[in-house]
Amino acid sequence: MLGYTIRRLLQFVPILIGLVTVLFALLNILPGDPARMMAGPFADPDVVKTIREEMGFDRPLWIQYLDNLWDLARGEFGRSYQSRRPIVKDILEVFPKTVQLAIAAEVTSALIGVWLGVIAATRRNGWADRLIMTIAALNLSFPLFWLALMLQIVFAVFWRLLPPSGYGTGFDSFIILPAVTLALPSLGLLARITRAALLEIMGEDYIRTARAKGLRRALVMRRHILPNALIPIVTTIGTDFVRLLGGIPIIEVIFVWPGIGKYAYDALVFRDLPALQASVIVLAVSVSLVNLVVDLLYAFINPRIRYV
Amino acid sequence: MRSSIREFATFDWRRFRQARLPLAGVGVILVFVLLAGFAPFIVSDPTQIEMRREQDGETITPPFAPNPRNLFGTDQLGRDIFARVVFGLRTSLIVGILVRGLSMVAGTMLGLISGFFPKAVDDVIMRITDIMLAFPVILLAMTVTAVLGPGLVTVCVALALVAWPDVARLVRGQVLAIREQGYVEAARCVGAGNWRILLRHVLPNCMGPIIVAFSMGIPGAIMYEAGLSFFGFGIQPPTPSLGSIISDGRGYITVAPWYPGFPGLVLTLLVLNVNLVGDGLIDVMNPRAARGPGNARSAG
Repeated sequence: MLGYTIRRLLQFVPILIGLVTVLFALLNILPGDPARMMAGPFADPDVVKTIREEMGFDRPLWIQYLDNLWDLARGEFGRSYQSRRPIVKDILEVFPKTVQLAIAAEVTSALIGVWLGVIAATRRNGWADRLIMTIAALNLSFPLFWLALMLQIVFAVFWRLLPPSGYGTGFDSFIILPAVTLALPSLGLLARITRAALLEIMGEDYIRTARAKGLRRALVMRRHILPNALIPIVTTIGTDFVRLLGGIPIIEVIFVWPGIGKYAYDALVFRDLPALQASVIVLAVSVSLVNLVVDLLYAFINPRIRYV
Repeated sequence: MRSSIREFATFDWRRFRQARLPLAGVGVILVFVLLAGFAPFIVSDPTQIEMRREQDGETITPPFAPNPRNLFGTDQLGRDIFARVVFGLRTSLIVGILVRGLSMVAGTMLGLISGFFPKAVDDVIMRITDIMLAFPVILLAMTVTAVLGPGLVTVCVALALVAWPDVARLVRGQVLAIREQGYVEAARCVGAGNWRILLRHVLPNCMGPIIVAFSMGIPGAIMYEAGLSFFGFGIQPPTPSLGSIISDGRGYITVAPWYPGFPGLVLTLLVLNVNLVGDGLIDVMNPRAARGPGNARSAG
């Protein structure tokens, strides 16, 4: 298991090099002169020239590329053109906020999604089942940014229950709207998967045996059905968490949540290339780590799976 | 060797017709396609500006609320939102089909090659997909459109670029299973070359999953286009796009909730129905996945 984990971690290295290469190739055809960007629109040409020389933008591209790789290998992310601070500092500030948001969203969707799935499965083909499955299908089809707008207008503008956007202290009223928006599509997916998984287990002989020997429904659900349905559910929570991370930039920008997604978006808008590169790397590594943790979790839940 | 088409032909029309939800989905999509296709003959000019209007003896200024003349109301310049939405739908459909077409062709080709040719080729292609899959999708697409300049074609290229690795992996998986089949060996024995085997024997036998993947990927492409346009990285005016209409309407959300509201509803409806059809296709193309009435998909 340890060997497997280490091998998986080592696989990150070529992927990251590829990522940086693709990004570097893309960004160097991006219009806009970074030196001019830093100097401001009304800067003296001499100032722009000085900055260009200081930052090394006048060197051949391949030297800039190798230099860039070498810097990254040493953990040197450079300075943001925009904030003029070391990017590592910026990232350390914004990343935890993204983690807060992602965890809040995933916990919400996991709890409610599984709960709805259980209700739907136990009342199969009843009105509750139909209602939940309809809502689930609908949730999967909402465009995230539009859903965000609609929730903002309903809960923040009309009812004034929640702040429309911004960041408070972390887990407070500010996190509810972005987290719920992120959670809704996942919740629909989870409800569907949970329902399907439960129904499959409920058809098994040992469930009939458990009921036949007089075990109460709730107890059968808790002790026999849920644990056995856990594998597809956890698998879905894992893959879904990755999908949810993909929606993070959209949600953070709309809700002005100062996380890494918004940081990356701002970096792209302001052509702040080192900051964009760093945030893409951090996001990619987080996604890969989540994938790894999910794979290890399978083995934990299902002892029949062994990684060597 | 005509029989290689047989697996593909398991598309079961009877089963497809029995599924009511996917069929309803086909109906809705058909309506959308007709609306979008005949847009200029159905709706008024979406660029027609109307800055004042008489109503109940009073002069009012836009945005006008929904009324018999403007089903979805108008925007701040008095332009009919229904007309704009219909033309936006056109863009969405074009992008959905084009992106999916591009990424399916590229992904299928690379998947076929990756699964069939020696390990070195396979490794190179798979590592490239690893790299592409590690990118945050929306950021990569935004960066690509920022580089190439926004517009319909660039958006399609950007979205196809982020979508092909999934297809390549799916097709590769199919090829790995198929190339061990007896008929592939038989074809090789009678002297068929690699490409002939790939295109005449392997490809037709992975058509089922490919068709399902095609339809399942359309909603994502449509949503990402809308998202890109919403953030100003996508389709640029005057080309209408549902995403950019919603973005325009964002500032009027309190005075004219219909302005961003209806385009979003239409977008949701479109995605929902394409999803329904995709679900139906899965049941039809892969009978093993359909597990009778207990199947989660049939209860949607």
